[in-house]
Amino acid sequence: MIDDLGEAATSEPIPIQNINEAVLRKVIEWCTYHKGDPPATNDDDNDVRKKTTDIDEWDQKFMQVDQEMLFEIILAANYLDIKALLDVGCKTVANMIKGKSPEEIRKTFNIQNDFTPEEEDQIRRENEWAEDR
Amino acid sequence: MSRKRSGASDSGVEFPQPLAKRRRSGGRSLGQIDIPDHINALKQNGNITKAESGCHSPDDAKDKSITIASTVKFADQTIAPFLMRHIPEQYAPLGGPISSQRGPSRDPNSKFCYRHRPDLLCRRQADEPSMDQLQRDLDTLSQDDRQGIAHVWSLFSAAPSKHRNLMLQGILAQCCFPQLSYLSASVRDLLKIDFLSALPPEVAFKILCFLDTTSLCKAAQVSRRWRQLADDDVVWHRMCEQHIDRKCTRCGWGLPSMEQKRLRASRRQIQLRAAGRGINDWSPNITPNPEAHQEILSNGTGTEAILSQEESGDTKIQAPPSLTSTNLPSQPSQSDYLRKSRPWKDVYKDRFKVGTNWKYGRCSTKTFRGHTNGVMCLQFSDNILATGSYDATIKIWDMETGMEVRTLRGHLEGVRCLQFDDTKLISGSLDGTLKVWNWRTGECLSTYSGHDGGVIGLHFDGDLLVSGSVDKTIKIWKFRDKSIFTLRGHTDWVNAVKIDAMSRTIFSASDDLTIRLWDLDTNKCLRIFKGHVGQVQQIVPLPRDFEVDNREADTYVDDSGTQSSTDEVSSQEAANRVASAAESPYNDTFHYSTDRIAPPCYILTSALDSTIRLWEVPTGKCVKTFFGHVEGVWALAADALRVVSGAEDRMVKVWDARTGACEKTYTGHAGPVTCVGLSDSCMCSGSEDGEVRMHCFKEGPAL
Repeated sequence: MIDDLGEAATSEPIPIQNINEAVLRKVIEWCTYHKGDPPATNDDDNDVRKKTTDIDEWDQKFMQVDQEMLFEIILAANYLDIKALLDVGCKTVANMIKGKSPEEIRKTFNIQNDFTPEEEDQIRRENEWAEDR
Repeated sequence: MSRKRSGASDSGVEFPQPLAKRRRSGGRSLGQIDIPDHINALKQNGNITKAESGCHSPDDAKDKSITIASTVKFADQTIAPFLMRHIPEQYAPLGGPISSQRGPSRDPNSKFCYRHRPDLLCRRQADEPSMDQLQRDLDTLSQDDRQGIAHVWSLFSAAPSKHRNLMLQGILAQCCFPQLSYLSASVRDLLKIDFLSALPPEVAFKILCFLDTTSLCKAAQVSRRWRQLADDDVVWHRMCEQHIDRKCTRCGWGLPSMEQKRLRASRRQIQLRAAGRGINDWSPNITPNPEAHQEILSNGTGTEAILSQEESGDTKIQAPPSLTSTNLPSQPSQSDYLRKSRPWKDVYKDRFKVGTNWKYGRCSTKTFRGHTNGVMCLQFSDNILATGSYDATIKIWDMETGMEVRTLRGHLEGVRCLQFDDTKLISGSLDGTLKVWNWRTGECLSTYSGHDGGVIGLHFDGDLLVSGSVDKTIKIWKFRDKSIFTLRGHTDWVNAVKIDAMSRTIFSASDDLTIRLWDLDTNKCLRIFKGHVGQVQQIVPLPRDFEVDNREADTYVDDSGTQSSTDEVSSQEAANRVASAAESPYNDTFHYSTDRIAPPCYILTSALDSTIRLWEVPTGKCVKTFFGHVEGVWALAADALRVVSGAEDRMVKVWDARTGACEKTYTGHAGPVTCVGLSDSCMCSGSEDGEVRMHCFKEGPAL
């Protein structure tokens, strides 16, 4: 396929404006490790149903970076349209949210609670049904 | 670091004033005292990059006389040019349109980072308490010190990121451990990113879609922005798709679809809340204001459209724009708007409550008494319960009040089977006849005779009525042309029959211990399922998207007792697993066409050997056996979420069809349980003791 594009395709640099070098290196590292993966199925709906937040061990290690880097990796995966990497990134964030109380989530992501106490109380009651008991 | 500094002193490149100052203000301001170094260097070089290496440059030696005061004095010459040069470039985008950011001349180093992009709402603001503290600390310093610090800040603020990094490098190199610890602690918090707010919404939704119900509801309580995202229809529509009317393959948790009555009750409120707002606007409003839009209520066609959609359990209703990838049926109608404006979180919540009630066995019970002999068959739908009894009558009940509505009399012997729809009720009796009733009036419309023995099983669907009899035959009655056809093959009573319209096949269960699959096009037997060691009483085809857990592990468990054969087909199915078998497991005997698909993949059967079995239809293998009943299993019902069985042992059990695990056991009947019925939120069981018991898993005092 690359041959078809001729000389220019391989010799001309492709500018990637939105990704800095450190992040791109990380992305390339991930792609290199996963280059042998079987192609994902096109059945999007089915795919979604089968998904879990399980992340394989290598990917978990790979994602052990500070939030800034994780953020940039997700942005890069989104920008470069690397679906599997975007999934891993999103799952990593999802796992940071899972099982935490609202206050713990705020701590994790340094978020300011911008609800008034009354609102907070009402929203808590609104969401009480989801406690599995 | 201190060694470095003293080294500088030794070589005569020291800055006397800072050192003097350090003595004056104590160690705490050490870092701040170092500031003049840079300003100093700046003055010399007019270039911040040089400042980093400038500590040892010979030029600095000439500046021994420089003091804070002189720094202030020279500020015009040193700092101003730097600010002039960098500030316009750095902050131009703030004043101008965004497009200027993409200008080709833009220094790539000055692109906005996540924290400072002006278009990001979550852009980090300095927080009040720590800025207050900073102000107080600053106020304690002398005018000169404050001026010096302000200069450092303004220089840093103006510097492009490359320069900033150099500045920081230099500062870090000078830091003592206490300052590094301070930095490390501060940076740990500052480096945290509010992912959901900062990422593009589609990525935020993707993250949220990986969460479970409980976590999603916790996320909605974090902040206003999080609430907006976590309550969004995009997320909850996905949740509904995954869980309602099916078991989620991620968590194994399934939710019932909503019934008509409940829907009617909530419809008004939901419409009021949703109608006036955009698709995601409702949730961030803390207090729903159910004002106006009364005209929606009078919009009959629109509301009915919602209702019928919901009733059919079709959760794939009009999706929000971002969900268009899941190929939803587009149904352009005037009700689109209404359906769109329904918050999916509410839909999900309603069903989740029913789901947890099932899970924990929270239910209200009701007993229907009136039959004078054993109840042998039942069906319920909406608010109507129909029961047939050995007392030769059929009774129609109001489920809400528990009152008997009417009694259908006409059969001469016990009623063994019945089925009803909107217009008719058909019953089969030991008197050998089938009767068609108008159950709303009690009138018997017609009587079908033809079987040479009691009719003990029946099923109708569309134009077809199929009956199973004591005479060992199955009869197919066609309403339209009044034709009758008899299927022979079973060698004992035929207890149950089920039509599968989509594949034009029939399943039958018999006292001869077998289940048979019949082709309605050819009237031939396609397959015989052998394995039960007791009379097979019931057969229930499972929904086509049903999947089994650990199928491999269980497949050959009781292989010795389980086998299957086909009448006309040589058994090649050993090699035919479901996937490959789906192509043509029935060889040439089953003919596919555009309006005909393969028979269901899985069926459940119950028998007097006190087991329930799950069969893989294409291979004819029994893939799971449900143990738990201690006597024969007379009754069986199933939907996408659960299986209910009733047995001679007087127990009603609820099972998970995928795993074969028994989830709950209900007792209470004084006699064998002969029939069961199941809906999203209810189950009913009839017993030889003449009573029908209903367990309702809906909330509240209402039915």
